[in-house]
Amino acid sequence: MRIGGIVTVLVLAGIVFTAAFFITDEWVESNIEYQASLLNEAKVELDGFESSLFNLQIKWDRLQVANRNSTMENTFETGETEFSMQFWPLILGNKVIVEEVRLTGFELGTERETDGYFEMPEVEEGEEPGFLYSVVKQVSGEAQKNAEVRFTDIRDDLNVDSLMAKVNIQSVDKIDSLRNGIQQNYSKWDSTFNNTPIEEEIAEAQNSIESIKVDEIKDPKKAIEAIENIRKLRAQVDSMKTKADSLRDDFEQDYGASRYSLDQVDNWIENDYQRALNVAQIPDLDVQNIGKALFGQNLLGDYAVYLEYVAIAREYGSRLVGDEEEEIIPRYEGLDYEFSDKYDWPGFWFKNIELSGRTKSDLGISGVVTNISSSQVKTGEPVLFEVVGENENQVSLSLNGEFNYLEEAPRESFNFNYAGFTLSEARLSGSDLLPYKLESGKGELNLNLDIVDRRIESRIDYLATEINFDFEAAGDPKNRIESLIRDAIGGTDNIDVTALVDNIEGPLRVRVRSNVDDLFMDALRQTVSQEVENAKRKIEAEVQSRVDGKKEQLAEFKQEKEAEIQARYDELQSKVDEQLKRIEEKRKELEEKKKELEEELKNKVRDRIGIDFKE
Amino acid sequence: MFLIMRYFAKLLKALASEASPGQIAGGIILGMIIGLTPFFSLHNLLIVVLILALKVNIGMALFSFALFSGVAYLADPLFHSFGIWLLELESMQQIWTNMYNNEWWALTKFYNTVVIGSFVTAAILCIPAFPLLKYGVVQYRKHIHAKVQKWKVVQAFKSTKFYTIYQTVSRVRR
Repeated sequence: MRIGGIVTVLVLAGIVFTAAFFITDEWVESNIEYQASLLNEAKVELDGFESSLFNLQIKWDRLQVANRNSTMENTFETGETEFSMQFWPLILGNKVIVEEVRLTGFELGTERETDGYFEMPEVEEGEEPGFLYSVVKQVSGEAQKNAEVRFTDIRDDLNVDSLMAKVNIQSVDKIDSLRNGIQQNYSKWDSTFNNTPIEEEIAEAQNSIESIKVDEIKDPKKAIEAIENIRKLRAQVDSMKTKADSLRDDFEQDYGASRYSLDQVDNWIENDYQRALNVAQIPDLDVQNIGKALFGQNLLGDYAVYLEYVAIAREYGSRLVGDEEEEIIPRYEGLDYEFSDKYDWPGFWFKNIELSGRTKSDLGISGVVTNISSSQVKTGEPVLFEVVGENENQVSLSLNGEFNYLEEAPRESFNFNYAGFTLSEARLSGSDLLPYKLESGKGELNLNLDIVDRRIESRIDYLATEINFDFEAAGDPKNRIESLIRDAIGGTDNIDVTALVDNIEGPLRVRVRSNVDDLFMDALRQTVSQEVENAKRKIEAEVQSRVDGKKEQLAEFKQEKEAEIQARYDELQSKVDEQLKRIEEKRKELEEKKKELEEELKNKVRDRIGIDFKE
Repeated sequence: MFLIMRYFAKLLKALASEASPGQIAGGIILGMIIGLTPFFSLHNLLIVVLILALKVNIGMALFSFALFSGVAYLADPLFHSFGIWLLELESMQQIWTNMYNNEWWALTKFYNTVVIGSFVTAAILCIPAFPLLKYGVVQYRKHIHAKVQKWKVVQAFKSTKFYTIYQTVSRVRR
């Protein structure tokens, strides 16, 4: 034995251990922060991080997860958190498996002292925003649109010229662009017909047919040969016919394509009209829309925020699932055989997280989140969460749901209920129809959301009870509509609003109805409905005058070009048909000639040897 | 360049006199195992400890490691194929599964085709290589060493200033 060697081994082991002891915390912390920031696309920071090699324990005093859309804000932050990782998954597979996490001081949407911007090493280009983000965008757009609707200052002395200058009518340019497209398409087909070899092939076939002189055939064998040639010619001309038919089909398909359809012109005009109405802030006085106009901004704005959290969950879920699936085997590293599924762990798996904290409105909350993992397929468990909170004023909150990515179609569902909060000094609506604050009242919000892949079904119920509007603070009514509305809602002590957002029957539908819709509609009908109709008529007439005759001219142009190409095709078709007819005639002639020659031959044989082959 | 030559001289010297044939053969064998198998494997930690703890020739172990790492680079596809054959042996399935399911054995990564293929190859090679190497060292000392000393390149190296210094330092250290 070499004593020096053993001492060297021990010294080396000591150095490694000591270095690991002092360096690990910083190294692990910066690695976790970097990897998490990459995932979050904004800074993730840990304060007071400590890790222990002995029991594989991790602890931090504060975790901040910056909001990538607003980097001076955290999506959430936590206070003191502590957990232990399982030994073997970490050693054997570099996998973080945690049984229990105690997470305190959980808060959503906190302010940051520093900017949470994180520079991503590379940007994925051309990546489509996820389905849920597109829904968030649509719902936010809907909320924004509702915020812009004005009812009380509608006038029928609308200055249409200045309005049109703002609207930028697009139909005219689009019609011109469509006309150019049709012209280009016509040129393309004109060139296709000019360059098609069918005409030459027809001429060749015609020469071949004419070269067969039936009268000059004196031998039945020659007649048979000629019939064979005519059959071949027939096949060639049939093939030309097929080519010509295919040319016609391609042309008809191309010309009939939606990009050249004139139907879209009506949509463009309708869009211009709608845009003009929006710019002029002319509301659609329909009982179906009044609820949306009254409560859409507040309700849908909140809904979009909740939906964005779900979108983030789905995005992370799918991103992590994608990472797990990628398996690159570098050369010479061999293949790992799996003799059992014992080590088939996900990259990380937090089995049970007990959290406690406060909401923005200072409501104490506590709850459990289970099975957050990088691969639900491996854990076989969806993320489940259940958070509740209540304070001494009987304000309660509950949130429970599931993010399930076990099957091919991702599924998120949750229920959120926030009840008993005070509505004193609150405004129920952002609309100018309901600008009054409440003196008193209690509110309850209930949100149910169920999303399976790209199918979304959700319902938001908002109930305001025991309400009292503070009309005094708003002063005297400024006009008749205000006066009518005050009279109508003054006797109401509760408002019940339901919003439905779904795409069960196709495109996303956003509907908002409330128990006061009819009251408002009555007030509007008695006051501004005439002005609205007049303004609408003016705008519609102006939009129509801008595009007047354009659609008809375009239709005429398209028809003319289509007819020209059609005539070219018909000409080609008739030439092919003519050749087919000639071939058929020639074949009949040849058949007759063949019969005639065979007769002659038989007669000759009979005359010479006395045998009649006809018998 | 000087370092390489000095290392080469040290190897020749070790072959000639300093270490016993067993120590030299042991060094080569252990270096070979590390060289042939993936470096960052648990069994290699044990081999390194053995090299440091046993009185094998460390220089020879390093030389052997370098030499067989090159061999392994070329032979890895063969080790991979051999590993597949071993891991798919019907009669071994129960053993592999038991080893795989035991975390300590799993640490060895013997479920990897290249690790098991190269390790078993190295282990098999050890059996004939150790006595053969021992015999080779004895034969070298008896028949070849004197001839090597007469090689012009060796003579030239011995006449350099560096070699003289190296000799002096070596004597002092002893």
